[in-house]
Amino acid sequence: MSAWFALAWQSRLKRRSASFAAVALVVLLCVFASTRLAQAQTAKPGAAAAVTCATCHAGVSASYAHAPMRHALENPGANPVLDTHPKLTVQMGAYTYTVQTKDGQSTYTVSDGTDSMTLPIRWDFGQQSQTWVLEKDGNLYEGLVSYFHRDQALATTPGDGRITPHNLTEAMGRKLNAWEVNQCFNCHATNALDGVRLKLNTLTPGLDCERCHVGVEQHMADAIHDNFTTLPKKLKTMDAEDAANFCGQCHRTWDTVVRNGWKGVVDVRFQPYRLENSKCFTGNDRRISCLTCHDPHQPVNHNDAVYDSKCLACHGGGKASKVATAAAPPTAKACPVAKANCVSCHMQKVELPGGHAVFTDHMIRIVKAGEPYPD
Amino acid sequence: MFLAPFLAAVTKRAARCRRPMLWPALPPLIVRCLLILFLLVLFSAIPGRAQAQQTAPQFDDVAARAAAARDQQNLPLAIELYGQAEQLKPDWAEGWFYLGLLQYSSDNFPQAIEAFNHLLQLQPNAPPAMALRGLCEFETGAYDDALRDLDEAVRKGAANQPRNEQIIRYRLAQLLARVGRFQDALLQYQFFAAKHIDDPDLLLGVGLAGMRITTLPKDVPAESRQLFEAAGKAGYIFLSGDSQGADTEFNQLFARYPTAPNLHFFYGTLLFMHGPELAIPQFQSEVAVAPSNPAAHAILAYSLMFAGRFAESRPEAELALAGAPDMEMAQLALGRALAETGDPDRAAEVLNQVLKRDPNDLEAHIGLAVMYARTGRREEAYRERMVCLGLAK
Repeated sequence: MSAWFALAWQSRLKRRSASFAAVALVVLLCVFASTRLAQAQTAKPGAAAAVTCATCHAGVSASYAHAPMRHALENPGANPVLDTHPKLTVQMGAYTYTVQTKDGQSTYTVSDGTDSMTLPIRWDFGQQSQTWVLEKDGNLYEGLVSYFHRDQALATTPGDGRITPHNLTEAMGRKLNAWEVNQCFNCHATNALDGVRLKLNTLTPGLDCERCHVGVEQHMADAIHDNFTTLPKKLKTMDAEDAANFCGQCHRTWDTVVRNGWKGVVDVRFQPYRLENSKCFTGNDRRISCLTCHDPHQPVNHNDAVYDSKCLACHGGGKASKVATAAAPPTAKACPVAKANCVSCHMQKVELPGGHAVFTDHMIRIVKAGEPYPD
Repeated sequence: MFLAPFLAAVTKRAARCRRPMLWPALPPLIVRCLLILFLLVLFSAIPGRAQAQQTAPQFDDVAARAAAARDQQNLPLAIELYGQAEQLKPDWAEGWFYLGLLQYSSDNFPQAIEAFNHLLQLQPNAPPAMALRGLCEFETGAYDDALRDLDEAVRKGAANQPRNEQIIRYRLAQLLARVGRFQDALLQYQFFAAKHIDDPDLLLGVGLAGMRITTLPKDVPAESRQLFEAAGKAGYIFLSGDSQGADTEFNQLFARYPTAPNLHFFYGTLLFMHGPELAIPQFQSEVAVAPSNPAAHAILAYSLMFAGRFAESRPEAELALAGAPDMEMAQLALGRALAETGDPDRAAEVLNQVLKRDPNDLEAHIGLAVMYARTGRREEAYRERMVCLGLAK
């Protein structure tokens, strides 16, 4: 499922918003914020309950509403993919899988030709490519087949290819242990956990504002009363190391990957880890931060040229960035080959085995023809 | 079948000397079958059998009579004859094995150890003999030797057979806890939980390891057993995969024993495996129960470090080191916390202390990589990261 999460992150973030526009938007919102709050305060009692992040942060809330991360998890009835593909079928070995959607309800059926098992799809993980979590006898299962956006079809869920089912239940899905379930929902939903206990019935599907902006509830409660002393931490000011660790909570930190000894092409999904393996990564330099290229409130921009200015901030030989430090010189060696579409050469596109998708390797480097994928 | 006469004796010995849960759990017929398999593997692992076909008539005669005595279950005579045969041909590995096994079956542990010593001199990498010697050493109270042998035997695959695995892991777990390797002991006990093998003595062992008690189960006073068994039961439930059931069980224990040291530590240790942030509240409770316990402060600091809460980790690590200046876990937490909170020079000093003892300590290298990254020393950070990638398992 994390593969879909990472994919969603990519597909959403590559369309970076221009930093100038973002600054202007913030200024604009600040100007309007006081007016809005004044209106909220003068409204009749009970209006406070309707205050949301969008009350003051309308622009970013509106864009984030369409961001894949916001839809990292969906409940039944809110799944355009399945609505547009009302019947999906695939034969995997001795088993036939069918995902059917009717009147906003989706079911997942597996049949061995003699018997069959049908379960309602309760949790859709991912916005484009999707894996479904199913419930049977009080246990949660990861569906053994997933929907792949590129192929517009069902195929084996990534990581489950090694499973040889011996019965319908095993063919239906991989039983998830409590820790896996917690990890899945903690990264695909908001307020999913209370300590070690999963709150399936009260969690908010997808990543709501407070999933990243810890403390927004207090901020909203105080802002209504013109108190702006309890602002959530400003995430956009994080340096490269902090941003990698923050995003890595779900996309995997460098520490996590190294401690677990994860190797091979599959770690291309772990962008913070890959980025930190780049020679040019400097922890205290914001020019190489995740947030330099990606605005989490926007979809990914797939136009390579959009990222050129980010690379040239160091490699262009132009003006020094304001965030450059003595330790991280403002200019680095310029590329002798080109000044455009840098990522097309220096951030290799990698086919994820069994993932039915291509990922951008965030280990920025001079890619040599024929070289093996560097761990 | 040349091994058949020994099965009764070995089974009888095992039933008498091992913990109940390790033998009566299986029907006698299955026990015998498993023992046959076990001994066959042992036998096949001894290339010296070929050497036994030597030509000296006297040796041949003694060896044949030893085998006959063994077949007739005449253990004293068989022991005597195998001893004579070994005097005639001291490099007869098979003979040493049978002699050791017969002595073990007769509760003659020192003599069994001696026989296995000879065998292991001839074949230093014979994990079954090493494991058997370790079991004998355990019985004689030579616990350090037993730990060395069993630890190495398991590393070399002696516990690969289901039948042997139980007794070997059970003894090894006790010995690991005895020397303070509690986490390693719990990993051994996890084998039993995963297979749902249940027994009061086993639960006691789990409880002792979890609550960081170095006493062997057999030496625990009767009045203390209840707490350790109850803690072991909660831990066992957790290790068997029922996290919510274990959570309920532990919370009941906390209510019943609010001041018991290392109870929160135990639960925190189990939770840490699945997420350090889950373990932090337990370690905080432990520190509240036992504020002068350096190990509790150290693991709290370490968990906070893993969770990225470096500012909170730093004072806990300092407290731990105040009580135990060489505690590695606290040094790692402090070094990383210093690197993350703006004291790179001291971070390097602390982390290098760890590296002086163990140049391949991954966590220390991670800390150094971060320290360099945080201070803009890009090339050194890259170098340390590459060291870490090389060290990563």
